[in-house]
Amino acid sequence: MNSFSNSAVKGLVKVGNIYCPKNGEFPSFAEVAGTYKLDDLVKNVPSDDFSSLNLVLAIFAFLPNFIIQWIVSKCQQSQANPSDGIIPSTFRQLNIGLRGLCYSLYYSEFTNPDYKGKTPLQVIDYSLNRITD
Amino acid sequence: MALEIKRDSSNSFIQKLIHFKIFKNNMIYDFIVVGSGSGGGALAYYLNKSGAKVLLLEAGHFYRKDTFPKTEAETSAHLYWGGGIEFGKDGKMGFLRTKMVGGSSIVYQCLMDRFDDIAFNDWKNESGVDWFNNAEMDKHYNQVESDMVLHTFTPEERNGNAKLFVDACDKLGYKWGNLRRGQSNCGAEKGNDCIGCLGGCFRDSKQSSLVAFIQKAEIEGLEIITETEINKVEPNSDTCKIHGLQKGNKVSFEGKKVILSGGAFGTTRMMTLSGFKSKFPALGKKFASHPQFMWLGFQNEPVDAHKRMFQAVASKDDSFRAQGFKLENVFASPISIGMLMNETGVEHQRLMKQYRYMQCIEVAVRDENVGEIMCDNKGKLTIVKPLTDQDKTRRNKGLQAIENILTTAGAKEIYKSNFYFGLHLMGGCVMGTDASKSVVNPDFQVHGEKTLYIADSSIYPNAPGINPGLTIKSLGHRLSTLLLK
Repeated sequence: MNSFSNSAVKGLVKVGNIYCPKNGEFPSFAEVAGTYKLDDLVKNVPSDDFSSLNLVLAIFAFLPNFIIQWIVSKCQQSQANPSDGIIPSTFRQLNIGLRGLCYSLYYSEFTNPDYKGKTPLQVIDYSLNRITD
Repeated sequence: MALEIKRDSSNSFIQKLIHFKIFKNNMIYDFIVVGSGSGGGALAYYLNKSGAKVLLLEAGHFYRKDTFPKTEAETSAHLYWGGGIEFGKDGKMGFLRTKMVGGSSIVYQCLMDRFDDIAFNDWKNESGVDWFNNAEMDKHYNQVESDMVLHTFTPEERNGNAKLFVDACDKLGYKWGNLRRGQSNCGAEKGNDCIGCLGGCFRDSKQSSLVAFIQKAEIEGLEIITETEINKVEPNSDTCKIHGLQKGNKVSFEGKKVILSGGAFGTTRMMTLSGFKSKFPALGKKFASHPQFMWLGFQNEPVDAHKRMFQAVASKDDSFRAQGFKLENVFASPISIGMLMNETGVEHQRLMKQYRYMQCIEVAVRDENVGEIMCDNKGKLTIVKPLTDQDKTRRNKGLQAIENILTTAGAKEIYKSNFYFGLHLMGGCVMGTDASKSVVNPDFQVHGEKTLYIADSSIYPNAPGINPGLTIKSLGHRLSTLLLK
């Protein structure tokens, strides 16, 4: 059973605020993300991949924001100008892993129960009709 | 049903004796199909219909229309191997591989295209298999199509994204066509938004393997065991034994014939773990995936590409076909659209704020089959899938056509995502006449093994450049006719 440590959750919130800051109508990741849903979202991730992600996020919890920002920019560069080698490959996979987690919570129905404002889905005016009958 | 499972978790001599006795009496299935996607689901249906004793095994969970995940986040997390997207060794290309009863047919758009002569001729030339042609496949296509409900979209069903695509293609002289989809009652006229069915159709309208085949076969007595991952196959002259894990417990099954239908990754993994790599140098080779690139055009007025029938048209241009690409009029839910964008923070939010104003087109490249699927002795997969120079040329031509369409449609800004992914995972256990260059023979039989067969996209000799779903099902039907002779 994959379960994030408390430190990893703190680290995710820090990096989440870089990906999704408070900006006009958009709430910050920290305000809106329903982190209670995290463990469910990673239950099918292979345990060794999860362990690596959990460790990276836990380290983020103790890093200053400018260093996390630098790591995020390296991740972006690895995607924008893809080159070969284990380091660019690792950054690309980290890029997808971090963005996947952050956006899965940010553009999601699973919001922080204490948050009462407009959700990101409402800000982008997204709605979906499910007619079942 | 429980009696059919030999559980190694029992330790007592008496229990083992009981299991042995049961096994000796009537524990052998006529057919065991491993994997319930497009190929396995259809094949199990046709075999079961004959009255044979058939077992369908699936590694994933059994979802129904009322139990599919309701949100995009849960869809990615629950329905895909690895909890979402998987990556090649270089981290450049993502692969989407599903894990549930019905397999990829649950989350795909169920576009039902027959192969053209170009695709079959290229297969025939690569494999030496002479029945790869439309005349021979026609009866199998006909049978599968008659067992599904197919619908060709009409102009009235086009949403904003499709209208922009069609109008711009007409101005540019690009030929396009209405898509044919497996669906029975989508409820679009009532306001239903079909993009929601990318996480599984909650109306049982989409003609997935689950709806078109497995649920019908289930009523007729097909035995289905889920959450069972097979890791080893042991064919011998009379039967084939298979072994795996069911919720952590070791299980084994035996059939007179075993057919692997776990898809390119799953079947290659089972074959490699079973020690066939030393016998077949081609095992894991010739992997292709139709790499797909999505670009966005931002319009001044809402497009609402996610509303109603979100994919109704595609390119149907002979020159595109000759150049090795096709365009599809697609879109995705917010998390997936966000993942296309490499920007962070305020710039990312500026782009996402225009979600309703996005026009979206995708190019799928008919790629060279130079990829490789490797598996270590613990079952961990490593995928090598470089884009060749030819792939890049085809991609660039397709992206230029997309840019022309978006510009002609009046886009005020174009977002050129360089993130790409593969949905059509093909090859790894290709079919052919030469055992040194293939894994299965023209009768779907693993070379030299009388009791082990493969029926899924892993047998594709190369990339057809056409949606593979209908042909996978039709090949399943062809194999069923051979097995039931």
